[in-house]
Formats: sequence, structure tokens, C-alpha cells
Amino acid sequence: MALINVAAREIHCKIVYYGPGMCGKTTNLQYIHESVSSDVKGDLLSIATETERTLFFDFLPLDLGKVRGFQTRFHLYTVPGQILYERTRVAVLNGADGVVFVADSDKSKLEENIRSLKELAVNITRQNKKFQEFPIILQYNKRDLPNALPVAVMDKYLNGMNWTRHEAIATTGVGVFDTLKSISRLVISRL
Amino acid sequence: MDPQLTSLIVPTEEVTQIEECLSHLVEDTGGNYALLLDKSGQVIVSQGDGIRQDITALGALIAGTFASSREVAKLLREKDFRMLFQQGVRENIFIALIEEQWILCVIFNKGTHIGLVKVLTKKATDELASVLERVRQQHKARDEVLGSSFRTSMEDTIDLLFKD
Ligand SMILES: Nc1nc2c(ncn2[C@@H]2O[C@H](COP(=O)(O)OP(=O)(O)OP(=O)(O)O)[C@@H](O)[C@H]2O)c(=O)[nH]1
Ligand SMILES: [Mg+2]
Repeated sequence: MALINVAAREIHCKIVYYGPGMCGKTTNLQYIHESVSSDVKGDLLSIATETERTLFFDFLPLDLGKVRGFQTRFHLYTVPGQILYERTRVAVLNGADGVVFVADSDKSKLEENIRSLKELAVNITRQNKKFQEFPIILQYNKRDLPNALPVAVMDKYLNGMNWTRHEAIATTGVGVFDTLKSISRLVISRL
Repeated sequence: MDPQLTSLIVPTEEVTQIEECLSHLVEDTGGNYALLLDKSGQVIVSQGDGIRQDITALGALIAGTFASSREVAKLLREKDFRMLFQQGVRENIFIALIEEQWILCVIFNKGTHIGLVKVLTKKATDELASVLERVRQQHKARDEVLGSSFRTSMEDTIDLLFKD
């Protein structure tokens, strides 16, 4: 749940990038960190293994400055996608206001995507939140892969809830900011 | 709408009470710093000497540590670890949970005995729990706090700043 500090006139929202291992969650945050103007971004904090896989989380604070007198901050997190880290994902998801589910378009990853999305539903429900009402945006990443599944097929298996979805190539930034804008607007609409 | 999805609005009066509670805690323990975090890792109030520039990252890490220790507790069939203590060479940090929603942290050095910190933190968590209870009960309408045009201004800002 978002936090509004009336005395300090501050609003904080927490957004979590969720999805299977290697789908490109960290790459999304790295691209945002490289591209966004320097008065908006804080340091990107990554707790990763030696092989650059996320071990705990990545964290990127974004400060949007004053909006109608309120200092507004978005805190972006990624979860570690490897199966092994299921309990760690629960910890990072704690208190999230919105989730970007990053799916890997690689044909061979469909099942992993489905499994990860099911796990997300379970984890949100366990936080006593209604999954149907929870703010979620879908991102189909790695659209540049030659064996990328057609969007219609991914929709069929992943987007039964009819969320807003974006196609992306996180490595070059395609769709990264569209995704960030969508989730930010959605979270703000629920404040 | 699902009440779990609505915002937690902390009014000015309650922020003042939290500030007082934390500065007493710092004074009485001879600690260096006290922080109140939301479980999502956001800093609600911080009190103490000097400015910590890395406070945002600190909040994210402490909340992450606490949340992951809770998962450890579950695996050990423990209900919860209500408190955590991390010992450094120069500074120690003591962390306590308030009603699954807030996290209180006290940073103190060798001069302070951990027993004292434990007792006074317990007292402070009781006080903060009643502040939290009041915050939860005040169902302030969002528009009353933010103004009705906040959302459109926010959308314009998002479009302006979130771009390559
Ligand atoms: N071809 C292609 N590769 C991508 C794309 N996005 C990310 N990658 C690559 O995929 C690999 C994994 O990316 P990460 O961002 O580390 O994946 P992650 O989801 O954070 O993985 P975990 O931390 O293990 O959960 C890296 O080698 C990226 O360069 C994309 O759009 N296209
Ligand atoms: Mg990662």
C-alpha cells in the first residue's frame, strides 16, 4: 500500500518487477537508470551473485519532484527469478503497490512464464490482497529473438486477465519506458 | 475496493508523535539514530545525529532483511522473529516489528548496552502501535489530502520524466 506522509508532504509507491529467471527484469532497471534524467534517479543498488544473477533484489529510487505540493517517489525493485529463490521473492514483494510481470518471449520459456505468474498470484493472495484487483502490467520481453512466440499465443496463456501489456526489448530499451509509465499511472490511479 | 490496496495516510499530528517517540528513544538509549520504516522499505520518520545520505537504500535493505527473516521464521515453524540484532564493529542495529506494518530500527554504538536498547525499544513499539492503530482508523478521503486534480498533474509528470 502506498504511503502518504502528510507532514513531510511525501508520497511513496513501491513497484516490483516479477518474472522467471533471465527474463530481463534487471535489464529493465538498468536501462531506466541509464536513461532517466539525473535529478530523477538515485543509485541503482543490486544484490547479485558473481554471475550477475539477482540474489536478493535490485533497487532503484526515482524522485519525481513536487506534484501539487507533494514530493512523489517511486521505488522500483526486481525479484530474483530463479526457482530456488521463491521465499526471497515473497520478501521483496512485501508491501508492493504494483507489479510489472516480465515474460520471456523465448518459445522454450512459455512454461516457466506460466509457472511464475501462478506463483505471483499465490504470493499476492497470501499478502491478503485480491489478485483480481491488484495493479499489474505485463511486459513481453525479448521480442528480438528469432524464436519469439507470437504475441497472440502469449496472450492466450498469460493474459487471461486482460492487463495492459507491452512488447519490449529491454537490452535496447524498446518498450521499457512505456511499461514504466503504464504501471506508474495504474498505481497512481489507485492511491 | 480491497482495503489492503488503499494508501496508508499518516497525518501531520501522528508524524509529530512518531518524531517525538524516536527522538526520546535516541536520547534515552544514547543511540545515534532511529528510523521508522514502512514494511515496503520506505522511510516514514528518521531522527538522530547527522544526515545519512544513504537512508533510502538503508530503508530498502533493512525492510528486505526483515521480510526475508520472516520467511526463515516460517520455515522453522516459528511464528515470527519480532526482533533482529545485527552487530558491527563500530555500530549495532536493533530492529523490531510493529504490527506487521512498520519496522523500528535503532542504530547505536559500543557505548550502549543492548539490554537497554531492547527494553526501551519495546516501550517505543507499544507507543508506535497505538499511533499506527489511529492512522488505520482515520479513513481520510484521498481527495481531501491530495486534491482532486492530483492525478492528472501526476500523469503529466510521469509522461514528462519517464522517457529515454
Ligand atoms: N535478446 C535479448 N536479450 C535480453 C533482453 N533483455 C534481457 N536480455 C538478456 O537476458 C539476460 C538476463 O537478463 P537479466 O536482466 O539479468 O534477467 P533477470 O530477469 O534479472 O534474471 P534473474 O535476476 O536471474 O531473475 C542478460 O544476458 C540480458 O542481456 C532482450 O530484450 N533481448
Ligand atoms: Mg535480475
